[in-house]
Amino acid sequence: MGTYIARHLQVLFATLGDLRRTPMSTINTLLIIAITLLLPCLLYVTVKSAQTLSDSWEGRPQISIFLKKEISDDTATLIFEEVKLHPSIELAEFVTPEQALAEFKVLSKGEANLEQELAFLGENPLPPSIVVMPDKASAKSEKLIALKDELSQFDGIESVRLDLDWTDRFNAMLLVFSRVAMLLSGLLALGLILIVGNTIKLLIFNRRHEIEITKLVGGTDTFVRRPFLYYGTLFGLLGSIISLGLLLGAASLVAQPLNQLAELYQSNGLIHQVTALEMLAVVLVGSLLGWLAARWSVAQHLRDIQPK
Amino acid sequence: MIKLSHVSKRYPNGHEALKDVSFDLAAGEMAFLAGHSGAGKSTLFKLITRIEKPTSGQIIVDNQNLSRMRSSKVPALRREIGVIFQDHKLLFDRSVFDNVALPLIVIGLPHDEIQKRVRAALGKVGLSGKEKQYPVTLSGGEQQRVGIARAVINRPNILLADEPTGNLDEALSDEIIDIFADFNQVGVTVLIATHDLRQVERLNKRTIHLVQGQLVENAISSGKSEVE
Repeated sequence: MGTYIARHLQVLFATLGDLRRTPMSTINTLLIIAITLLLPCLLYVTVKSAQTLSDSWEGRPQISIFLKKEISDDTATLIFEEVKLHPSIELAEFVTPEQALAEFKVLSKGEANLEQELAFLGENPLPPSIVVMPDKASAKSEKLIALKDELSQFDGIESVRLDLDWTDRFNAMLLVFSRVAMLLSGLLALGLILIVGNTIKLLIFNRRHEIEITKLVGGTDTFVRRPFLYYGTLFGLLGSIISLGLLLGAASLVAQPLNQLAELYQSNGLIHQVTALEMLAVVLVGSLLGWLAARWSVAQHLRDIQPK
Repeated sequence: MIKLSHVSKRYPNGHEALKDVSFDLAAGEMAFLAGHSGAGKSTLFKLITRIEKPTSGQIIVDNQNLSRMRSSKVPALRREIGVIFQDHKLLFDRSVFDNVALPLIVIGLPHDEIQKRVRAALGKVGLSGKEKQYPVTLSGGEQQRVGIARAVINRPNILLADEPTGNLDEALSDEIIDIFADFNQVGVTVLIATHDLRQVERLNKRTIHLVQGQLVENAISSGKSEVE
């Protein structure tokens, strides 16, 4: 066991030494890996920040129920009571035609034309209505639509208007964006494997002679491929650490103007602070991808190199 | 130790390197494999170390049938055989120490043990104190001896040498062949491919002749010759 660990450490240090001996190509490779990893990280931080933003609004949609104009006040009250008792509804408020007209007048103040037209009509054209706020569980878009359909069936109800307000639209867009981000991240991970795999392939061909001789003196496949697996893992590890550095740098660059913006909207901490756990995850994923790339490359190319 | 029965090797280009070769080399025996270049000596070595597989026939090395050997067992076979190559096959970007140590690193020996054995092996071939040098700074004969040190470091049962005296002067050649004879003295089976008939006569050992891939065996010591 001790020898086994010593052997691994020896390969690790030998590989680190090899990386140091060719600084330019090492830095090149590491930067390519870092930038490839940086893109998914940036997308993640953006999605996370946007989610924090949308959570902070805590907005809940409203449903406006317009009753038929011809129904009596009693029927209207009956409908109101029924709506109020609906299990998905937290709050319901009855708006009489008079209240609606008053509100309308306040809102359209200064617009002389509208007032003239109202006066011309002679009577109040607005129907009685109920403004409803669904409970938290029903505040999701699909449930809201179901609730809306259900309410539309009621006798005496003319129409139901659902205001999926813009927080919902924002959340829906965010969902699309995060899916696209995930897809893009998957593609970039694949790209990373190809980049590292290709680098390992070049290393294998550069060390062809050494591999042949090692096999000649009885080196097993496991022994021969070990340094290349270390190469891949180290590329991934170091590349992801550089990537984190770039990410934190980019975040601090954006944070200041973004926080100024947030202050204007009486909000705070718009940008997602990357946690230690997330950093660890990036490093682990980076190393794992590097290792996978090396495995893939080694499986493709090492078998072909046999002593002659 | 090494037993070939009706071994033939034909390359994809149609060249028949070995034709129905059979011989048996006992444990602890030393023999020369003589023949002109292209007679099939190198091919024979490649078959014994399972770098290549025969087209037909059977090869048994140390009681292992190479035809039935799985490729995962090949490294273990090669650890039992020390091979010295005509072109030395040294790593020129590694020190003499690293070159000689390679067979031990491969089996994962602890570092202090490796150091001890490398020093001993280099002492044996007369290269003490050259551990830190690089092969390019050494003469041809010294490079050949680095190759020998590497071949014997793992204390193999079998030593195969392909033209070990290829481009060395007589004194150096004698020295190197004597090193092999020394190993044979302690029980190592030795097979040396050479076209240097002077050595063959000097050591008076069994000689296997290959002529155009076919075997012609001479036992020089008794003066008789058999033709197969």
